[in-house]
Amino acid sequence: MSVKIEVGAGGIPHNQILIYGLVGSVILIYLTYLNTYMQAPYFAFFGGLAAVVALIWGTDTIKHLCSYGLGTGVPSAGMIALGSGVIAALFGATTGIFAPIVTVIIAAIIGAVAGLMANAVVRMDIPVMVVSLIELAIVGAITVLGLAAMACGTFEFLGMITGQISILGFTITSYETSLIGGSIIAVIFMLGAIAIQHSFNACLGPGEQQDRTLMLAAECGFLSMIVVAIMSFAFIDRYAAIITLVISIIGWLYTYAKYIELSKRDAYAWLDAQPILEPKGGA
Amino acid sequence: MEEIIFGIGITALAGALATVAGAAEDVESDIGSQGDPNSQVQLAPQMGYIHRIFNKAIAGEPPAYGLWVALGAGLAWAFMAMQINPILAIVLGSALAVFVQGVYATTAYLGRTASLAKFGQPVYIDILKSMTTVTMAHAFVAIFATVAMCHLIISALGHPFPLPLLGLVWGIALGAAGSATGNPFYGKERQYQEQKFGAGVPISASGNIVRYAEAGQRNSLDNGFFSAKLGGPASGICFGLIVFFELWRTVVFEEFNIWGPIIVGVFVILVFAIIDRYIEVWARKNFGPYTAPEEASS
Repeated sequence: MSVKIEVGAGGIPHNQILIYGLVGSVILIYLTYLNTYMQAPYFAFFGGLAAVVALIWGTDTIKHLCSYGLGTGVPSAGMIALGSGVIAALFGATTGIFAPIVTVIIAAIIGAVAGLMANAVVRMDIPVMVVSLIELAIVGAITVLGLAAMACGTFEFLGMITGQISILGFTITSYETSLIGGSIIAVIFMLGAIAIQHSFNACLGPGEQQDRTLMLAAECGFLSMIVVAIMSFAFIDRYAAIITLVISIIGWLYTYAKYIELSKRDAYAWLDAQPILEPKGGA
Repeated sequence: MEEIIFGIGITALAGALATVAGAAEDVESDIGSQGDPNSQVQLAPQMGYIHRIFNKAIAGEPPAYGLWVALGAGLAWAFMAMQINPILAIVLGSALAVFVQGVYATTAYLGRTASLAKFGQPVYIDILKSMTTVTMAHAFVAIFATVAMCHLIISALGHPFPLPLLGLVWGIALGAAGSATGNPFYGKERQYQEQKFGAGVPISASGNIVRYAEAGQRNSLDNGFFSAKLGGPASGICFGLIVFFELWRTVVFEEFNIWGPIIVGVFVILVFAIIDRYIEVWARKNFGPYTAPEEASS
């Protein structure tokens, strides 16, 4: 049984973030379905926003889990989250309109199995392990599905495995130029895995503050959105990709500036080209 | 025969690119105190040693480089799918990946340092400005060389994987090579020069990293100079050899038998295991564990 280390007490309770995160991200993913209605991918950016919301929730979950003395385990938590998530997202995507719901259910099952294995077989005996891994798997799955929906304009499997290529003026569909055929899904996997763990990994320490960590989570999400938006130029309509890119850049600029402000608030001192301040009484 | 000679040429070129990438990767991560030296840099203020060392921890090196290279490769792939020239596509992809790396580096330094406010560690903005750019430059070299190598493997050697997937695989390998080979040079030979050679790091000396230079105060750029001398080239040779042997065994021996490359791969691993063991035993015999000096010198 590990000892629980308190990190940054106070702030919004975790269960509240969980509910907002789950409901918010599923609704946002469903909003990308407007693309199918409108027959144009102008609403692809909702997928990225779903990923941002999910990442904020996932960061709080990692903070919860890793407060049990898992210092170097923070990046691993991100990997297992997206590893479980990518399987659930790809399976879920094959179910058409039900994709987001099925993805969440499958991810919960995978996360529960992973959590039970970690507690019962590996004997880590962390009380919140099963619940946290369920949450992390769902977050990972929504992140993958959201960013994939943003890149190719749909969360349906068929859209992810068909791409267009123009040869000598003729446009033909091919598997090689699709999201999955071109392995862009691998890039999305890594983007999510680093983004989900980075915020807590970067902010851990005795002076950790929830608002700063969660602001960083949103920043990581928007940063991932920017690069996925650039890659989406290869899959969707140019104007739709520009809309996505502009929204992600605005979101990133806002959260990045806000994060620097919060870091300034929490830092001991904010110095430019100053010598080492030896603590009083000497080292 | 001609095909094999062509393949060996590409193999050598890929190996050379990998060597450059490995060297740049190690210098980049050491300037940022990423990987295993990070724990002591993180610990130092808690033990009362306030320092001016850059501390950017973005996961471990293998996952971080898995992302940078996969991202560079993914963006390059997307640009190529938009009918952009491959060389330009790889440069643009690597530049955008480096932008992401730089943003992650700044947020990591700010976050960790702000969370250590209790111990009196200030945020040094000049560190952030001067060192992030240097790590970005090194990361660009590492990412560009690795993505270019992956593109060569696919377009010239006919590897069946798409570019981003190959980038992910080789990016993780690059990070692992730099982390395993280069970091010990920096961590043990540079950070702990305050301790006697071979003394190890007793708990009482935890966090007592070198903070002052010969003149003035040391920052991570000084560590970059040191890494560029020993750790970087060592990591470069390590990653270059990995890439070279990996491709060489397939290019040369696949002609004879489909199992040829696998048998040669096992053989190469055995040869290297024997060499490593020999060097380890030799070093232990010659340098041995730390002992107190037998007589005080004058």
